[in-house]
Amino acid sequence: MDYDVLVVGSGIGGMESALKLGDMGYKVLVVEKEASVGGRMILLSKVFPTLDCASCISTPKMAATIHHPNLTVMTYSEVKGIRRDADGHFRASVKRKARYVDEVACTGCQQCETACTVAVPDQFNADLVARRAAYIAFPQAVPKKAVIDRQGSSPCTFACPAGIEAHGYVSLIRSGEYEKAHRLVLDATPLVGSLGRACYAPCESDCTRGSLEGTLPIRRLKRFISDRHVESGEDLGIEVAEPNGRRVAVVGSGPAGLTAAWQLARKGYTVKIYEAAPEPGGFLRLAIPSYRLPVEVVERDIQNVRDLGVEIATSSPVRDLAALKSEGYDAVLVATGTPRSTGLGVPGEDRMGVLAATDFLRRIKLGETVDLAGKRVVVVGGGNVAMDASRVARRMGAASVTVAYRRSRAEMPAHHVEADDAEKEGVQFAFQVAPVEVTGDAAGAVNGLRCVRMALGEPDASGRRSPTPISGSEHVIGCDVIIAAIGMTPDTAAFASQIGVERRGTLRADPKTLQTDVPYVFAAGDVVNGATDITRAVGEGRRAAHMIDRWLTGGILDGFDLRLPVVDKQQVLARQKVYTLRPATPEAVTLEAAPRDFREVEAPLSETEARAAAGRCMDCAVCSGCHECVSACPVDGCIDLQARDTELDVEVGAVVVSTGYKLFAADLKPQYGFGQYRNVITGMQMDRLLAPTRPFNTILRPSDGKVPERIAYILCTGSRDETVNNPLCSKFCCMYSIKQNQLIMGALPLAEVTVHYMDIRAAGKRYDEFYEQSKSMGATYVKGRVAKITEKENGDLILRYEDIENGGQLVDAEYDLVVLAVGVQPNRDAAMLFPEEQLAEDKYFYVAEPDEDLNPGVTSIPGVFVAGTAAGAKDIVDSILHAGAAAAQVAAHLERTQANVKVPA
Amino acid sequence: MNSEETTVAGQLSPEQRRIGVYVCHCGGNISDYVDVQRVVDAIKDEPGVIVARDTIFACADATQENMEEDIHQYGLDGLVVASCSPKLHTVTFRGVAKRAGINPYQYTQVNIREQDSWTHGDNPEGATHKAISLVKAGIARTRLTTPLEPLVVETTQKALVVGGGITGLRAAIGLADVGLEVFLVEKEQELGGWVGRFGTMYPHDRRGSELIAGLVGEVRRRSSITVFTNAELMAKSGSFGNYVAAIRVNSDLPELIHVEVGSIVVATGFDTYQPEAGEYGYGIDGVVTLPEFKALIDASSGPLVHHGRPVKTIAYIYCVGSRQPGANEYCSRYCCAATAHAALQVSGLDRGVHQYHLYRDIRTYGKYELMYTDSRKNGSVYMKFPEDTPPSVARTDGGQLTVTTHDTLTGGEELTIPADLVVLVTGMVPRKNEELMGLLKLPVGTDGFFNEIHPKLRPVETVVDGVLIAGACQGPKNSTESVAAGLAAVTQSAAILKKGFAELDPQVAEVNAAACTWCEKCIDACPYSAIEKAEVAGRTVAAISPSTCKGCGGCVPVCPEDAIDLRGYTDAQIRAVIDTMLEEPVA
Repeated sequence: MDYDVLVVGSGIGGMESALKLGDMGYKVLVVEKEASVGGRMILLSKVFPTLDCASCISTPKMAATIHHPNLTVMTYSEVKGIRRDADGHFRASVKRKARYVDEVACTGCQQCETACTVAVPDQFNADLVARRAAYIAFPQAVPKKAVIDRQGSSPCTFACPAGIEAHGYVSLIRSGEYEKAHRLVLDATPLVGSLGRACYAPCESDCTRGSLEGTLPIRRLKRFISDRHVESGEDLGIEVAEPNGRRVAVVGSGPAGLTAAWQLARKGYTVKIYEAAPEPGGFLRLAIPSYRLPVEVVERDIQNVRDLGVEIATSSPVRDLAALKSEGYDAVLVATGTPRSTGLGVPGEDRMGVLAATDFLRRIKLGETVDLAGKRVVVVGGGNVAMDASRVARRMGAASVTVAYRRSRAEMPAHHVEADDAEKEGVQFAFQVAPVEVTGDAAGAVNGLRCVRMALGEPDASGRRSPTPISGSEHVIGCDVIIAAIGMTPDTAAFASQIGVERRGTLRADPKTLQTDVPYVFAAGDVVNGATDITRAVGEGRRAAHMIDRWLTGGILDGFDLRLPVVDKQQVLARQKVYTLRPATPEAVTLEAAPRDFREVEAPLSETEARAAAGRCMDCAVCSGCHECVSACPVDGCIDLQARDTELDVEVGAVVVSTGYKLFAADLKPQYGFGQYRNVITGMQMDRLLAPTRPFNTILRPSDGKVPERIAYILCTGSRDETVNNPLCSKFCCMYSIKQNQLIMGALPLAEVTVHYMDIRAAGKRYDEFYEQSKSMGATYVKGRVAKITEKENGDLILRYEDIENGGQLVDAEYDLVVLAVGVQPNRDAAMLFPEEQLAEDKYFYVAEPDEDLNPGVTSIPGVFVAGTAAGAKDIVDSILHAGAAAAQVAAHLERTQANVKVPA
Repeated sequence: MNSEETTVAGQLSPEQRRIGVYVCHCGGNISDYVDVQRVVDAIKDEPGVIVARDTIFACADATQENMEEDIHQYGLDGLVVASCSPKLHTVTFRGVAKRAGINPYQYTQVNIREQDSWTHGDNPEGATHKAISLVKAGIARTRLTTPLEPLVVETTQKALVVGGGITGLRAAIGLADVGLEVFLVEKEQELGGWVGRFGTMYPHDRRGSELIAGLVGEVRRRSSITVFTNAELMAKSGSFGNYVAAIRVNSDLPELIHVEVGSIVVATGFDTYQPEAGEYGYGIDGVVTLPEFKALIDASSGPLVHHGRPVKTIAYIYCVGSRQPGANEYCSRYCCAATAHAALQVSGLDRGVHQYHLYRDIRTYGKYELMYTDSRKNGSVYMKFPEDTPPSVARTDGGQLTVTTHDTLTGGEELTIPADLVVLVTGMVPRKNEELMGLLKLPVGTDGFFNEIHPKLRPVETVVDGVLIAGACQGPKNSTESVAAGLAAVTQSAAILKKGFAELDPQVAEVNAAACTWCEKCIDACPYSAIEKAEVAGRTVAAISPSTCKGCGGCVPVCPEDAIDLRGYTDAQIRAVIDTMLEEPVA
């Protein structure tokens, strides 16, 4: 057996049980889900009726818990399931949540916290202020070790095929750290400027903000940091390893090849890129039109790669891979893409005036003139290349440009924005037509495209409806030029004798490792997958570099995609009841009906726009992955964002359930306006305002920071209230309110404190005396329940109630601040601990004590005990007594069942 | 002893000490009033001070670790923490010292919170001066500290329970079940106390007498429990972990039984408040206390009949003997729920009874609220009377018992309720127990109940180590809560005793035999009978038992020869403290 006792939860009840059992000599495992032991008590201001400072009397217990020789404490851990063996022992599965911070190495210096770019509501300050994603729970946390709150991958980051930390650079931009944001993108790819313009931004499609006023302009933010970087003239500022003496040849200089070369160079490899074309950059440089992606932007991105010492040999097609090996390259990456356009495959396709789209675009980008002035152009195809070709044709002076596509607009593979923009630039569309023949004149020049109309049938495997020709529907579209943009294929014939090539010309490579049949040859990008897009190519290039490095360093070819599961957008949205919609970033594309030049059509974001846009980010996964903490941490290797949750199985002799309670969610009483009226706060929030580690140095009201002069309490909020299904009294709210009344009167001598109560339940040692003291200090206690609160424009609040003690008339009383004395709700996590056996609950879902009269702490499962508020509302002293009783029950159980396994103290 | 003698050969002179000083902000509890940085600056060059730092929370675990690092790095041999009361953190920082390898008694706690910042909130400048002075004095004391080792004594694996009510019985069983031998002393002939006399009780409608019968049966089944009924604890001697209790069984027998025990659980219970004649009409036929009413219910199996008259209307008057300014000011906690429960029982016996509850606040806390709700559903009417106009009870000339009250809830008009029975909801009062209090040296609070060491976190421990209080002797409680407290005392006993040994504080008085003239003055000054006559080198001198001495220091000033010194608080140390404080004028 691993431990005599498992204590679940380390609030005051859990600590008391654990410490006393440890003192008796039992080995105890304490599992706490938060990053610190201590539960709620450590967060309180003072305690009633002694007005002891709560943290001062909690900290010794917390320190004792962590230092006790018989106690093992696992914080930031959750018990996932406890099963009882036939022998009466328990097997518990404990999830140790990844802290992403080495618990031993962390010194608690808080530099990660200072550096972190994400702020979320601080649960340890009752959401009054923010904490960071990298945080130490609170100043007296035990252990005082940071954790990083990573709830998964943010949808934007998760969606990026290139593996760019989208959330990370957005949060850096929000913090004004543009260079750091730029470097974070550079960590994935050198093509920051190109992606900032030509990427189709799957991140934006998945942005959670899209379900509110609109997605963040994540791509344009990338363009913003790229432009800023260029303007600043700063160095790249990225780390590059010392040369490791190994050489890698990269064949092809498109996005995959450039990215792979960049990554390999950063790891210390000597890399040379071989490019068949006269200019490097692949489609970035030779296909995507300049109005979308200016040549100088691509050249700047390529310069990034050259800056790392990567040599690029242009006009250098590679035909013999083995030759590269014998030249001394340790590995070769083939990333030659899909440079060739598929032919139309209809009679007459070799007539003069029939162009391949890729050739057409390439000639334009290389500065050649293709005279289309006054000509009628038909572009065949419905993809992005078709859109590019048609829009370029418009710019080259074509009299008309018609896109002929065999299915309907909805099935077009082109990005819908591209199609819309093409249309705005005067491109016409002919849908559900397929070419049958290119017609021509006697001179062999094109004079038309004979087409057949297509009917759309049932959806095929790709989900698109398959077209079938309608007989007798043939017709001719008159035209002078036909541009074929129906597909692209790799040019791999030369490799066929060296590595595996698929029927359609793509290279055969393992989809995970990208290794080909020849171990030293890897292949990545469109040459393997067929035509995709830039981000996928970039992602493939990164993967290839990773795998090549693994292969050359003798490692296993794995560990590339370490993304956490994507967070659930609905859960992200549910974090907040109300959202303030902020102006979405306006589109900035200017289109002309008859474009005549290749000027960039999209305007950049101004700094103000960029900051405002980044400020709308909802921090879906909390941690943005900006890596600022990693840079800031003074201990090497202490922060590891690749850490993952681990599971641990333990065998124990008994279990103490001390999972505590939940506070009533005050917004369930809408008539009191919590969450809607800013100056309506909860008792816990007031306790935080009064605590020694208070977020502000005074009591102030949230709406305007004013120090309140008229403060009202509403007792029994959510307690003794059938309307919220809680007929029970919460036991401690009267007393904590009275305590706060006294503390407020001490801190704000001029403040008037009024308490609206049903009964003042000062039942306990010196409690009633404490209540009397509060009255004598000047607090006013008014009998009667408050009907509703309304808010004035200035944030003041009007409480309507029946003044029972003064004749029963309705009164509207005005206050600056209202405190809702919220009570206790059961924490239903307790019952979930036992998946195979029912831990009985009482009618109100607290852990049941079937023989409470004589055996407090004993539950329905033999060997399972309950301590503290998990069994019902209790104040601190009652929790201590109850936890003491539970410990006595545990000890008796262990003596009875396993007298011989006890460890001597 | 004087200051020259403390610098014994081979030991560092006070100025050569290596002391670390930590001045705490306590969040803002101290630093809101005391300029902590100025305090640090003022003391950092004091002789012997090697490290001086301020800290937001000295008690925080991370700060403790930093202190340990300092101790290692700078080779410190003394520690001063200026923060809160030593009552809070002496053990904490002794632990720091011990973990880092310094003798725990070479640390001094300086209280600049309760005795400074909180007291002088109106004078930050003065508070800062005072803090400097207090810290310097603490440093002066620390320079003269010597390593002290706690006295380790084996503990007796036995416990004594005083009181055989539900708390004591359950505690005895609990103690036996964790492997301790138990002696249970009950004053009465029968075990069971109040609960043994009760019928159906809240919250689970079980009969008190049956609960007790079950417990007594369990006690009898355990051979490790020895029960003395008709018995009293007469004396307690020995020290923590090894007390000797003298028990008189049957007052006719002169012989005392002596038992050795490691801990003592006091569970002597409560008395009920007995109203004065005339208090709310008490003495008039038909006016009864809550226990009397409970007895009537318990004895009834159908409609209530009191003194031959059917009871059709009952008026309850709450808080009789509780929450009374100038008298019992405390709330008795259990009575509201007990009355709601009684009202439900009455409804069960006779649905036709009218029940009027005249109350101040209904305190059916937690799940007991359900009984209050049920009683209202069963027809009970609750009327809140103003504190300054309590109800009055009278019997009219016509013989009708009436209660006159004001009901705040319905406009505050005066109402007169004719009643067949008036129940005075009487609370709990502390038992008259002077002898036991005297022999156990247990303090009581202003309410007359035994006082715990800390009302929040250490509710069953007392200032006397190993003597625990449980149940209603500590303050009003219902039986369920008393049982929990009894078991908490079991846990506390086991936590002390199960490890088999106890460490006694070495800060006790010691006699310089060479100077002692055996004048016997110290004998009278010692409240713990720790001083005895001894022969040393042919001379008769006083000898102090280190295990019995509590280190109160009472004997030190009465010695005409200055032959007694208190370890840890030597005359030299106290003089050094005073001298230092006199150097520093307090603003």
